[in-house]
Amino acid sequence: MVDDDTWSGALHRLWQAASRAEEVSALADDVYAPLLATPGVHLVVGTRWDEYRTLRYMRALGADGDAPVIVATARSMPGAASREPDGAPVVTRSPAGELDDAAWPEAEFLRESPGASVVACTFRLDRNGWAGLSVAVDASADTESVARRLEQAVDVIVACHTGILQRGREARRSADDALLAEASLQMDSSLDVEDTLRRVARIAVPAVADGCLVHLLRKDGPEFVAATHVAVQQQRALEETGRDDPWLAALLVRRDDGDQALFLSGAALDGSPFAASGPAGAGRHPTVVSVSTLHARGRVVGSITFIYQRPADRLPDSTFLDSLATRAALAIDNALLYELRRHAVLSLQEHLLPSRLPAAAGWDLSASYEVGDPMLDVGGDFYDAVPRPDGSIALLIGDVCGRGAEAAALTGLARHTLRTLLEEGTAPGTALSRLNRSLRQEGASRFLTAVVVTMTPRTDGTVLLTTCSAGHPRPLVLRADGSIGEVVSGGLLLGILDDVSYESHEDFLAPGDTLVLFTDGLTESREADGTYFESVLPGRLSALRGSEAAQVAESLARQARAFRASGQDDIALLVARWNGITHSEGLLPLETMLEQAALR
Amino acid sequence: MTGGGLILVVEDSEEDTEAIQRALSRSHPSLDLEFAPRSEDVLPRLLAPAARTPDLLLLDLNMPGTDGLTLLSSLRAHPACASLTVVVFTSSTASAEEDACYAAGADSYIYKPVNFELFQTVLQGAVDFWLPGATDDSADASVTAAPPAAPPA
Repeated sequence: MVDDDTWSGALHRLWQAASRAEEVSALADDVYAPLLATPGVHLVVGTRWDEYRTLRYMRALGADGDAPVIVATARSMPGAASREPDGAPVVTRSPAGELDDAAWPEAEFLRESPGASVVACTFRLDRNGWAGLSVAVDASADTESVARRLEQAVDVIVACHTGILQRGREARRSADDALLAEASLQMDSSLDVEDTLRRVARIAVPAVADGCLVHLLRKDGPEFVAATHVAVQQQRALEETGRDDPWLAALLVRRDDGDQALFLSGAALDGSPFAASGPAGAGRHPTVVSVSTLHARGRVVGSITFIYQRPADRLPDSTFLDSLATRAALAIDNALLYELRRHAVLSLQEHLLPSRLPAAAGWDLSASYEVGDPMLDVGGDFYDAVPRPDGSIALLIGDVCGRGAEAAALTGLARHTLRTLLEEGTAPGTALSRLNRSLRQEGASRFLTAVVVTMTPRTDGTVLLTTCSAGHPRPLVLRADGSIGEVVSGGLLLGILDDVSYESHEDFLAPGDTLVLFTDGLTESREADGTYFESVLPGRLSALRGSEAAQVAESLARQARAFRASGQDDIALLVARWNGITHSEGLLPLETMLEQAALR
Repeated sequence: MTGGGLILVVEDSEEDTEAIQRALSRSHPSLDLEFAPRSEDVLPRLLAPAARTPDLLLLDLNMPGTDGLTLLSSLRAHPACASLTVVVFTSSTASAEEDACYAAGADSYIYKPVNFELFQTVLQGAVDFWLPGATDDSADASVTAAPPAAPPA
């Protein structure tokens, strides 16, 4: 053949084009033109049909130089089976007039061509369909050579298409992996169950599906958590469905034993909001719904429902959905574990602190407790306020070294021992000594610090403070004029030596003065540059002059929390503001008033 | 290629612009893309009498000058742009921002992932939903696991 070299060159260019192509139709120019240049060839037609014998596409290019004719309208090919090869591409040769239109839609072009014979190569393009590449030739054509060229071109087309599909599958897998990684990352960033699920719903749309509903399964049925949809209008409708739809609720309850994602479409959606006639069912593609159950702690904890309004081939496979569900369930598991632990810690902590402070005439008492450790172990801080038989009030605050169950046990022992003794009228120093003895007798392995202050109103309107400290930070007094005083005190930590006695120190409060007791979590909160809150505390406290006790306690705790870059200790504050007693209230009735307060 | 609709992409980042172009040329080769790196140019472009009306506006939120949310509000205030489909494409998952976008009139709020394949999948999902006619069968082949057959060359 005179043009073999030209054909070789064309084939080379075709391979090059195939390696770059992102869709197989991009090869058209490199296939049709060199085939048309083959001697005796007048027309080239490409066809493609699907497994349902429906023609999807046809393109014809003649040697006359006109633009190609493209047929993109679907058309039935009832006789297609007669030309569909099982294995390798099949080349056929026949007169154009003998082609059966039921199997050869390209015949309409081939018959019109000056070439009276047809050489055609029919081949399987992929698992969804077949394709044909046909040429009309006249008697001058070397049909053997033409057939060989068709086969060579088809080889390139099939290889190109297979490569594109393969790359598509890889890209899809890579996208799936990326989505799972992203989902895990998002879910790990929250320990709140509902927030975790909301994040899953957000990133899954529209990558996985067009809509997503997330439910938690509670004792009394599914509880709606979140809905997302690629279209905001439908998102609102989906939220309603997630909240109230009985069909969906029944489906989710029924799905409590399944491991694999359940896909529903067509008649299975009848009566649901996703049915073709339903509010969420109208769309270009039939709606498909999948439900994945989430298992955690050995039971079903919820479900993820996806709504697809896309072509069937763009639905995720169940392996992917199961992976996503497993990750979501794991995140929920962690979040539930965290919730359980948080609940246990908070309820234990509550029992270690007084449920309420006593009310007494002339006094404004308040306390604040900030749990500082994100690991959520029970802290060792404690405080209390105790009415005493002589009408005075004893304030106590302390801090057991360390955290956790052992520290909590000592915290309980310390608070209740001090409370019982002080309530009976025991002097603060004696109360601390006896607590120290108890700790030594118990063989306690931890130390603790504490300070006890009794506050006794006097006839001149002031209050006598009697303070004993066991190694605890000194209380501060915010005077009515804004000046700050330190309540002098000092003594050995509790739990170190067997026999320890504690000195008491006296001070006074005038009406409008505020006594502030705190644990070292407050003073040892540190800024990034290493500055302790202790150094700014007098100034911050002074600025709270005139404030009520609750405001002082809450404001200082809040400020310390905002201040600290490091330090995760709990912060306990106990604040007593002395307002003084008016004549009508008198002094002596204080005890009576305390009793009245206790009755309230 | 033309004929599959026009998307106006409001995006200042060159990197993201390139990624959007690459992703959509694979998933929707028949779509026309037009890029507006400056949000100030968008409204005049949309109101220009002779200009082709986009079928969809893909909007980045973090823009220098007029931010995406402000642009969205001013678009919606204009009768000519009131019905234009606007898809917000953002790297934030903050629900407050999502609510603000919906309040301002966004039709979609789409999370912008870092991974390119996921980025492409997300964009494809959004465009398929809003411009169903833009998907020609041959285009599906590039990113689907089991695509319909592509036409022979």
